[in-house]
Amino acid sequence: MQGLLRGLVYGGLIITVLMTATAWGMWLERKLAARMQSRIGPNVVGKFGLLQPVADLMKLLQKEEIYPIGADRLLFDLAPFLVTTFAIATAAVVPFSAEAVGADLDVGLLWVLALGGLMVIPVWMAGWASNNKFALIGGMRAVAQSISYGVPLVLTSLVAVVFTGTMSLSGIVKFQIEHGWLALWPPGPGVVAFVLFYMALLAESNRIPFDIPEAESELVAGITTEYTGMKFGLLYVGEYVHTMVGSAIAAVIFLGGWDGPFHIASGLHWMVIKTVALFASVYWVRWSLLRFRSDQLMRLCWLYLVPVSLGLVVFAALWRHFVLR
Amino acid sequence: MNLEMLMQDPALWGLGIATLAFAMLAVSVKNLVHAVLWLGMSLLGTAALFAKFDASFLAAIQVLLYVGGVVVLLIFGVMLTREHDNLAAFRTTRRPVRAALVAIALFVGLVHAILNTPGLGDPSAGKLVSMPDLGMSLLGPYAFAFEVLSLLLLAAMVGAVVLARKRDPGQPSAKKLIRHRNLGRQVVEGLAATDEVGQ
Repeated sequence: MQGLLRGLVYGGLIITVLMTATAWGMWLERKLAARMQSRIGPNVVGKFGLLQPVADLMKLLQKEEIYPIGADRLLFDLAPFLVTTFAIATAAVVPFSAEAVGADLDVGLLWVLALGGLMVIPVWMAGWASNNKFALIGGMRAVAQSISYGVPLVLTSLVAVVFTGTMSLSGIVKFQIEHGWLALWPPGPGVVAFVLFYMALLAESNRIPFDIPEAESELVAGITTEYTGMKFGLLYVGEYVHTMVGSAIAAVIFLGGWDGPFHIASGLHWMVIKTVALFASVYWVRWSLLRFRSDQLMRLCWLYLVPVSLGLVVFAALWRHFVLR
Repeated sequence: MNLEMLMQDPALWGLGIATLAFAMLAVSVKNLVHAVLWLGMSLLGTAALFAKFDASFLAAIQVLLYVGGVVVLLIFGVMLTREHDNLAAFRTTRRPVRAALVAIALFVGLVHAILNTPGLGDPSAGKLVSMPDLGMSLLGPYAFAFEVLSLLLLAAMVGAVVLARKRDPGQPSAKKLIRHRNLGRQVVEGLAATDEVGQ
């Protein structure tokens, strides 16, 4: 009973923090994008436009709900909620500090990868249920992309597992506190694994340069084409939460989690700083690069990312066997 | 946990019944897309059952491979078939008796195998297997079986690539080869015929 209560409290806390962080993450992105493009960005609602997310939310809540003709209503309604639910559920196992962890599973990393891979199903559901060809093409692209980039994502995570010898996320951080961050040590392969993981993460959460499922220049708005109101909002929130939790996991696996540089003032704040930095860098990339074409995306994945990450796994095994022993 | 104690657990019964119900829906709904999604729900139910029995590794793998992998592949398959919205096209109750026989045989076989599993009903047999133990046993005592299985998967993959490969235009297809052989036979027979005429 105590476990259930703890779960409820921690779950509620995580949902609140994540949703709030997401709302102001969107504000941060719009400000950054505006700065990069010599614009001003939101500046009317509240000081520095800080209340803009609230205004957006109020607007979305008032919008009319529209069902396209021939839409599969149940799946159409269900998809946005599932996208957000899966994205948030991933956060349950992320250790934000030595104490702040929802469920310290010994298969934590596997849980994250499993739920991350699951997210493509509601995304595709949204595309199919819309009864719209652009939405359907977007959904199919999402599926193809997720299957392909799931391979380097799992393989680079495997590099971390082989190095540290554990699948528990807090176990991975503890190993890094002792032996140095995986992105820095061993020098070279660690940072390559981190970059590959980051790229696969961009693709999994459909971010530029890999955002072909909703390529607005060719597919109107991809899977979100037919959505209105808060359901549209939830699809977006799901993507933002996915990116944010993904950044947190990259920080945990490769950047030492809550460990400060040279162990200075380790704690929750380092985790927050690393996550926000990675999150902002995703949008830095988003507003700097162009979008890949579908076939280029597949070639990059299968011809470069997969072989290199396989090589990294072999290297990790050798390092583990000869150096760490 | 004791098996009898577990059997009285309402959560276990609820999960089991839900899994079964989803499986029934998966094979009985007429919309193919819905069938795939129900199958996904049923597989999630199985994962929840694994988690219920403290087999967290199996539960995570079940979600990663079956729900995240197989269901997604099935979605691909459905989208590549023509007329996936045409519900009448998929009513395949053509050989009900044979299908029922196969299903019953499979059920009896599985029940027989499960009831004859050593250690069934022995509470000490269900002790927790830790992740490192699992990894060590896969690479230690069971390494051979593990490698054989990977070889099997590799063979299946190569087979799939061969089947799906675009035929090289320079290489004659099987059909053409047969036609060539027939042509050859005709030529030989024709020569023989002229020979007879000549004699």
